Order: sequence, then C-alpha cells, then structure tokens
Amino acid sequence: METFYALLSGFSVALTLQNLLLGFVGVTLGTAVGVLPGVGPALTMALLLPATASVDPTGALIMFAGIYYGAMFGGSTTSILLNTPGESSTIVTAMEGNLMAKRGRAGAALATSAIGSFVAGTIATVLLTFAAPFVVDVALKFGPTEYFAVMVLAFTTVSAVLGASPARGMASLFLGLTIGLIGLDSQTGQARFTLGIPELLDGLDVVVVAVGLFAVGETLYVATFLNRNADTIEQVKGSIWMDRADWKRSWKPWLRGTALGFPFGCIPAGGAEIPTFLSYGIEKKLTRHPEEFGKGAIEGVAGPEAANNASASGTLMPLLTLGLPTTATAAIILAAFQQYGLQPGPLLFDTQPELVWGLIASMYVGNVILLLLNLPLVGVWVKLLSIPRPLLYAGILIFATLGAYGLRNSWFDLALLYGIGVMGFLMRRYDIPVAPVLVGMILGPLAEQQFRRALAISQGELSIFVTQPISATVLAITALVVIVPPIWRRVARMRAAAIGHPIHN
Amino acid sequence: MNARMKLNPGELLISLALIALGSFVVVDTSAITETQGYGQVGPRLFPYLIGAGMSVCGAWLGWQAISGGWRNMPSDEGDHSSPDWPAFAIVSAAIVLHMVLIGWAGFIIASALLFTLIARAFGSRRSGRDLAIGAVLSTAVFFLFTYGLSMSLPAGFLGGV
Repeated sequence: METFYALLSGFSVALTLQNLLLGFVGVTLGTAVGVLPGVGPALTMALLLPATASVDPTGALIMFAGIYYGAMFGGSTTSILLNTPGESSTIVTAMEGNLMAKRGRAGAALATSAIGSFVAGTIATVLLTFAAPFVVDVALKFGPTEYFAVMVLAFTTVSAVLGASPARGMASLFLGLTIGLIGLDSQTGQARFTLGIPELLDGLDVVVVAVGLFAVGETLYVATFLNRNADTIEQVKGSIWMDRADWKRSWKPWLRGTALGFPFGCIPAGGAEIPTFLSYGIEKKLTRHPEEFGKGAIEGVAGPEAANNASASGTLMPLLTLGLPTTATAAIILAAFQQYGLQPGPLLFDTQPELVWGLIASMYVGNVILLLLNLPLVGVWVKLLSIPRPLLYAGILIFATLGAYGLRNSWFDLALLYGIGVMGFLMRRYDIPVAPVLVGMILGPLAEQQFRRALAISQGELSIFVTQPISATVLAITALVVIVPPIWRRVARMRAAAIGHPIHN
Repeated sequence: MNARMKLNPGELLISLALIALGSFVVVDTSAITETQGYGQVGPRLFPYLIGAGMSVCGAWLGWQAISGGWRNMPSDEGDHSSPDWPAFAIVSAAIVLHMVLIGWAGFIIASALLFTLIARAFGSRRSGRDLAIGAVLSTAVFFLFTYGLSMSLPAGFLGGV
C-alpha cells in the first residue's frame, strides 16, 4: 500500500505539465538521435546529457528516462530497416527483423517491436515499482563490506563472464579502473596519476570517455574500414499495422521475452544480450512456423525485442536501489545523477522520494508517449536513416566535440576526446568490449571507497569480507559464475556464429 | 574458432602496451605518499592491484597472440584487409584542427570546418555544399545551446559582429 501511495505521488510529479513536456521532448530527441545508424543508446544518452543540464534534477532525469526509451526504440528501427545493430542486444532484431523487412513486412516488424517494447516496458516497470522497495529494505542493511562484494560481482560478470573473451573483457575492465584512478583520492585528497596536469585533478568525465569511445572511435573505424560498403535501407511498404495472425503470433513471445529479460536485467550480469538470444532460441523451439525462422519470423522479432526492453528496465533495479551500473547505458545514467551531486542507492528513496518515484512514474508515461509518438511518425524516422553517411558522421562529430568542450570550455577535453577515440578505434578493431571501461571507471572509485571503509570498520582485518554472511554469499556467487559459465559460453558462441563481426555495447 | 597461422603484430603490440601501462601504473603508484589514517589502507593499494591486474591481462593476451592468436575473434578479415588510412588521417586532422581553432575562431567556424573535413573523409566530393550545411548546422546548434540551454560556447571573432 505504501508503495502504491509513493507511486501515486510519483505520478503527481511526472504528470505536471513541465515534466510531461520534458518527457515528450526526451522521447522525441532520443528516438531521433537513436535512430541514426551507428548511434546506440549509450552514445545517444552521452550526446544528449548536456541538453538536460539546464533543468532541475527531477525534470532532467525524467527527460533522460525519455531519451533512454526513445533511443532504445530508435535503435530497433534502425536494426530492422538497415541491419546495423547499434548495440549487441539488438543483434537478433537486426537478423530476423531485417529479413522480415526484405520480404516487405517492415511495417509489421516495426509494429511488433514497438508494441512489444511497450508491453515489456510497462510490465517491467510494474515489477520494478513493487520489487524495488523490498530490495531497498535489503540494501539499507548493506554496509561497505556488502557493497564491495556486490561490486566485485558486477566487475566479474561484466568483464570476464560475458562477451567473447574473458581476457579481452578483463583488459577492458582494468583500462576503465585505471581511468577511474585518475584524479584526487576520495579519502586522503591526494592527486593520483594526474601527470602534473591540472585538468586531470577532477578525473576524466564519463561523457568524454563515452563519447570518445562510441562516437570518435566509431567514426574512425567506419571511415577506415567500412566506408566502402553501401547500406541498403529497406522501405516500409504497406500497412504499419499487424493483422490478426501477427497479433496471435506476437503476444506470447512478448510475455515470454519480458519474463526472460527482466530478471537478467536485475542481476548484475550486464546487458540484454543473453536474454535476447535465449528468447530467440525459445521462440524458435515453440513456434508453429519453424520454417520461417531465418527468413523473417515475427516471433523472432517480438520475443527478443520484449526481452531487450524488459532487461533495460530491469537494469534500473540495481542502479536505483544499489547505485550499481551494469551496462554502458546504466553507467551514463549514473553519471547523469552524479551531475547533480546525487548518488543513487537505497538512501535516495528516503532523501529524494519525489525524484525517485517521479522518475519511476515517468517510465510508465514514457512508454505511452513512445507508443503514441513512434508508430505514426515512423515515416519521419525512416527519413533520418537516409541521411548520406558523410553528412551523418560529420554531424555526429559536431555534437561529440560540443559535448566534450561544453563541460568546461577547455581544449584539453578535446585532446582527451581524440585520444580516447583512438583507443576506441583500436578496441573496436581488435574486438575488445568497451562497456567494461565505462563500468570500471564509474564503479572503480566507489569500490575502492567501500573497501577502505570496510577495512576501517574491521580494523584492517581482511577476513571481514568472508565472515559477513551477505558479502560471503555474494563472493561465493562470484566464484561460481567464474567457474560455471557454460550457458554464457554457449551464448557467446551463438553470438560469434550469428554475426561474425564485432558490435560494442 | 579460426586458427590463424600468422602472428598478428597488432595483437602482440596491444598486449605489450597493456603490460607497459600496467607497469607504469605500478611504478607511478610508489610516488604517491602513503597515508593510512583511519582507513588502514592508504591510496596506494588499489593502484597497485589495478596496475598488476592490467599487466597480467596484457601477459595473458600476449601469450594468446603468440600461441595461435587471440581467442574467439570475429571472422571479418575482409573488412580489415584494405584499411583506408588517408580517411583515418583526415578525421584525425579534422578533430585536431577543431581543437586548435575553437578557442579563438569560435564554435561556429571550428565546427563548420570539422563538418566539412569529416564529410570529405567519408568520400564526399562536394565540399562547398558541405561547408554550407556545416555552417548552418553549427550556427543553429550555437544559438540553441547558448540561448536555449544557457551553455557557454566561444563565439570567437564572430562574437563582435
């Protein structure tokens, strides 16, 4: 009941004219940028972060939630019509959805993905609403020891367990942790790894790193290696609505996809890639039309898209209740909170209930706006896809440099942006995942802080991490996921077989 | 998994670079003054662990590179067989030029040139048209962000006009 009232007061925040408008602007901007080929949700959000800076924290986060949803939908549209997945979780949509589009069923593919996203997003938000208070109750009992253990688990799953190669994932994580070290030590105020450069005292900004890796790195990569291949855009022919048979074949995959996606998003296992592949596999087994799979089966779009969206909402569970980002996108949302001096976590539910519940309520609203806005406007989004590649990347770089320079009007940030861009280029070329860099740089300093607090409490006794029941359990789970990763391996193999080229998340 | 016969020099170089970076972190950490205070652990422990971890990853990848190549690499050798390095150079030059120009020439001029050069790197041959589009776009962005979102961007010498 208490949750219900909290949610109601959240709606009273989300439904004010100003916040409704901000949500609307967020969804529109998010879709418009997210639909651009090569721009995934993480980059969309990093690019649009400066645009939210002039609003109050609650309004900015509501707008940001809208951008998140819009970017997810925009990415699916691009995957279906262009077969260029913006991130690894839309690979499946890109495969099966693009095949549907090739058969002249682009409208139905877009519709099942949009309505599926709505259904999954709404159910997942309901689950988040009613489960979050319980997680918060548990999280309030967490001390530094438990937090450190959970962060170790997140580091492990994000880098070593997921993805094609544990060695490359770990290397990427350590790069991020090193970036996180730069700046003033939070406990003693000492400068570390600033190389005597005053600009580095504040540490590296996550916007510079994200935009450098995703925008500059991607631009360098496409210009150098991929510019000779021309893209073919599938046209949206016929009705954008689904017929009776489409509905009949879609609704169960939506629900199954949601059931798969949400829990995977909640556990710190990073990303929607696994549930989308699992959903695809399950739909392929259960369908009455197995012959259509691999030629554009609607179930193969409906299920994975629902899984993708449910998992995206699920990711907000550890982020809001524990302050734990498990994907590149979540790391950027966390950065948006930090921009206002807010640290997501169980305490935020107490100190800023208006903000947290307003944000959760705005997710319901955002889902509705998305559905109302996007299907009718699909023609506009398709036009954005036909921007010639030279102009597209030129435009992306204007916004990328604007985002980096606008932070503090310093050319030094542009130099950093380029340096990190070259790093992103190399990582893309050698299939090193980039999400662990962002998670590492955001979570590294927090983990160090918790570790040192924990040892201060235990008087320097390291055994505290295994004698406290919760932290011991979490560390045991961490060990298990390293030792028993057969499911993940199978998915990784499926991923390599299915795409044959790297996509970074 | 495709076994490659030849050693990939890029893979080996990146592995070595990771080892070098990790070692640098470890060495540079010893320059941080150790103050323990209440924390029992000072500001040195994590940098030591992270530097060591990075070196281990570099060594791991280096071993993979000389024993059949990095594991589980995607098989898109075709894309990588003929890199367009001039394009890489133009993109790089565009960003560096933008960095140099933005302070005194202002956001609009720097961004319009950036736009034109990037389009050029991607094979556009109509630089006059690109410059025009770039100028319109940067002007619009400039006014949107400075007046609409109260961000401060340098106007450069156009600011006097």
